[in-house]
Amino acid sequence: MSEELGFKQLRKILLEQDWEERQELAQKLHDLDDQLNSRERLESKVNPILQDQENRFQNNFPKLFGPQITETIKTQNKDSQDEVVEALYPIIGRMIKKYITSEIQKLSDRVDEQMELAFSWEGWKVRIKAWISGTPQKDLVMSKLIEPKIEEIFVIEKDSGLLMGSFSRQVSVDQDMVAGMLTAIKAFVEDAFSSEQQELESIDYENYKVVLKSFKSFYIAVVASGGMTSSFRDRLDDLLIDFADRVLKKARDGEDAEQEISGSLAEYFNDFDDADK
Amino acid sequence: MPISKKVILVGHFGVGKTSLIKRFVHQKFSDDYLTTIGVKIDKKVLNVDSAELTLIIWDIAGETNQSKIPKSYQLGAHGVLYVFDITRPSTYDNLHEQLNYLRSILPMAPIEVIANKKDLLSAEEQEQVLEGIRHTGIHATSAKTGENVEMIFEKLAGAMLA
Repeated sequence: MSEELGFKQLRKILLEQDWEERQELAQKLHDLDDQLNSRERLESKVNPILQDQENRFQNNFPKLFGPQITETIKTQNKDSQDEVVEALYPIIGRMIKKYITSEIQKLSDRVDEQMELAFSWEGWKVRIKAWISGTPQKDLVMSKLIEPKIEEIFVIEKDSGLLMGSFSRQVSVDQDMVAGMLTAIKAFVEDAFSSEQQELESIDYENYKVVLKSFKSFYIAVVASGGMTSSFRDRLDDLLIDFADRVLKKARDGEDAEQEISGSLAEYFNDFDDADK
Repeated sequence: MPISKKVILVGHFGVGKTSLIKRFVHQKFSDDYLTTIGVKIDKKVLNVDSAELTLIIWDIAGETNQSKIPKSYQLGAHGVLYVFDITRPSTYDNLHEQLNYLRSILPMAPIEVIANKKDLLSAEEQEQVLEGIRHTGIHATSAKTGENVEMIFEKLAGAMLA
């Protein structure tokens, strides 16, 4: 063997592993280069990461930026009240105008009706009714213009605030919780004014009035809308006393008290508004 | 036939009454502290011994002394949960006195005593605190993890129906 061949052989033996590693590295580099420069391959690797980041960002957005955005809007609103008013004024103005126009139209129609009735048999009926009941004629006319309407009735145990029965034209909220809250409000007001002998009689809320009629161990809350006249209130009081006397005192100790009370409430008060006409 | 019962949660402020209700009724917990003003009412329907029981839960604003709470909030309650914070001795220092007061105004109502925030102490520390209080039947709960919360309400429900 020549010296050169021997040297080549020796180099091959000594550097074979390095050469293989270099080849492998070169292959990896080539592959990486391909991955970086091939849009499809790069997308398949990077897209899931970006998607994850996007999801995390979307989920955390309210937490991360909510307070800042709210603060910015508040500051913006405060600093540019004129612009906000200018932007909202036409919209809100149009809405209010439309609502008032429609309500005035309704009122005007009803006034017209009443004027037409003034010298009719109906008109005389109102006068006689006012004279007999002692209710001012204007109250009777007003009651026809903005008719009061019973929306809901709750019969509630006084101390516990538990619902004993209810009547509702349109169930909107949890009646058990309404009964509890009404009892808490009643208790708070009565405690605040340290008046054991006096009781909260009504709560006014814009177009609604909650009339509270107390008895010994329970009270009845009537939610009414519209203009409540004294004749309506008197008639309601009478009917509530009658209901308590005839139905409640017997029903509350019965097997299915809640159902019985609720059924009787519907019988008693379903036609109450119509009877007022 | 559905039955309704009024349950009141009382105790010092910041002991976790509202959080216990939030955990029991809505299965939620929040670390934010919002003090209860006056009273807040919640509702949960349970099935106890094949009977449907509606719990009307009154979350009464915390007070160091129960006699300061308007009596009308407490009257008519069928069951009481007295809550204290296991990490704050000031919330259970006057426990016996407070329980006696509650028993005097609600003689028929079962009362369960709750040591809340158990997640903040180790088992040994809890044992040490409860031993020091010298009152039997205290249940340690955690509104944060939900541990024992359902159990204590169910126990009170059973006692109210018994």
